[in-house]
Amino acid sequence: MIAADIISDGLFAAVAAMGFGSISDPPMRAFKYIALLAALGHATRYCLMTFLGVDIASASFVAAFIIGTGSVWAGKKVFCPMTVLYIPALLPMVPGTYAYKTVFSLIMFLQGISSPTQGSEYLQSMIFNGAVSFSVIFMLAVGATVPVFLLREKANSMTRGSRYI
Amino acid sequence: MDADKSAMTQEHIGEIAEFISRYLSYMLGAGVHTSRVVRNSKRIGAALGTDVSIHTSQKTAMVTVRGRDVHFMDTRVVDIPAFPISFEWNADLSALSWAAYDRKMTLKEISDRFDELVSKPRMNPVFVLFMASLANASFCRLFGGDIWAMLITFTSTMIGFFTRQHLARRHVNHYIVFIVSAFVASICASTALSLGIDTAEIALATSVLYLVPGVPLINGVIDITDGHIQIGISRLVNALMLIVCIAIGMSGTLMLVKDSLL
Repeated sequence: MIAADIISDGLFAAVAAMGFGSISDPPMRAFKYIALLAALGHATRYCLMTFLGVDIASASFVAAFIIGTGSVWAGKKVFCPMTVLYIPALLPMVPGTYAYKTVFSLIMFLQGISSPTQGSEYLQSMIFNGAVSFSVIFMLAVGATVPVFLLREKANSMTRGSRYI
Repeated sequence: MDADKSAMTQEHIGEIAEFISRYLSYMLGAGVHTSRVVRNSKRIGAALGTDVSIHTSQKTAMVTVRGRDVHFMDTRVVDIPAFPISFEWNADLSALSWAAYDRKMTLKEISDRFDELVSKPRMNPVFVLFMASLANASFCRLFGGDIWAMLITFTSTMIGFFTRQHLARRHVNHYIVFIVSAFVASICASTALSLGIDTAEIALATSVLYLVPGVPLINGVIDITDGHIQIGISRLVNALMLIVCIAIGMSGTLMLVKDSLL
């Protein structure tokens, strides 16, 4: 049952990554690696959060690091810059609901401004959601960029000698 | 290679600057992070025997091309056109910069190849529409929606994304595009409330997530960690404005259906 949960989490993350990625027009040859990396990353985050009780920002960092490292390996195979592979793979992990709730709480705060108790509740919710979404996005991008800093030479010559040019 | 001193005239430097400014405006416009654009442009400049320095901001960029060992230089300011994000250009144009460097291509060859690469057709919009809807339905599932919520998210995303594609094609202001498509998608998803589905709220909340500008958000942070802090913050602010638009569009729906939510 646990294995099925993890696999279905990875599977849906892969579909989400391919779909959201396709809005940004990636090369066709990159799709299978985007799916693989997204599934791997999202399933890792799911496991860390569900079974080890890691918070969402740290779990996202670890997942993004795995995706970033994977994209060094996959990028060389399909001659794509790392960002082409890891940005779509990270998209299912972007905390869209938190980001949305931040702005929504702001709107509700402005509407309930005359009632101090309700207003401060929404203000609190805005700060909470804003802090979570900012730190998750920051951790995602940093986690995926760390392999670039570690393997600078290799990471910057992904498309060298591309067969697709 | 035409880097020998006699070929390095002011005119030739001007042609190189013309091409490099076009190259970098296309890359920045298509949502490539700044340090890659700078690196690739410098690489093409080096392949043609010049040194390139670049200053970028959100809407314009400034390029200086200096010939090596000669005194000629050319500086220009370019406007960055607003292209839709394209990872294909990112991959192809990066590969072009390496090809120029390794194969010692001439300026004419590079610029012809560039024109071919940027005129490649984009992905079929109907396919993108289908994929985005499928993606949002999977997203709904990841947040704990059941199969009916997934179906409703799929349909409302399809209608919302269709609206977005059509408005964008008519060059409507993109803030208005985001407000309208968020409203359309969420009002379609709010049917889940009247159908009495258990996870209706999840369907409503995820129906607009296909609009979240994930690529500029991540690009912004990448730019900041690379030290291009100004343009990184510009990108983040830009993305934040779009998120505000999504919230405005969706709060329109929420005000209409508030009673059934509470």
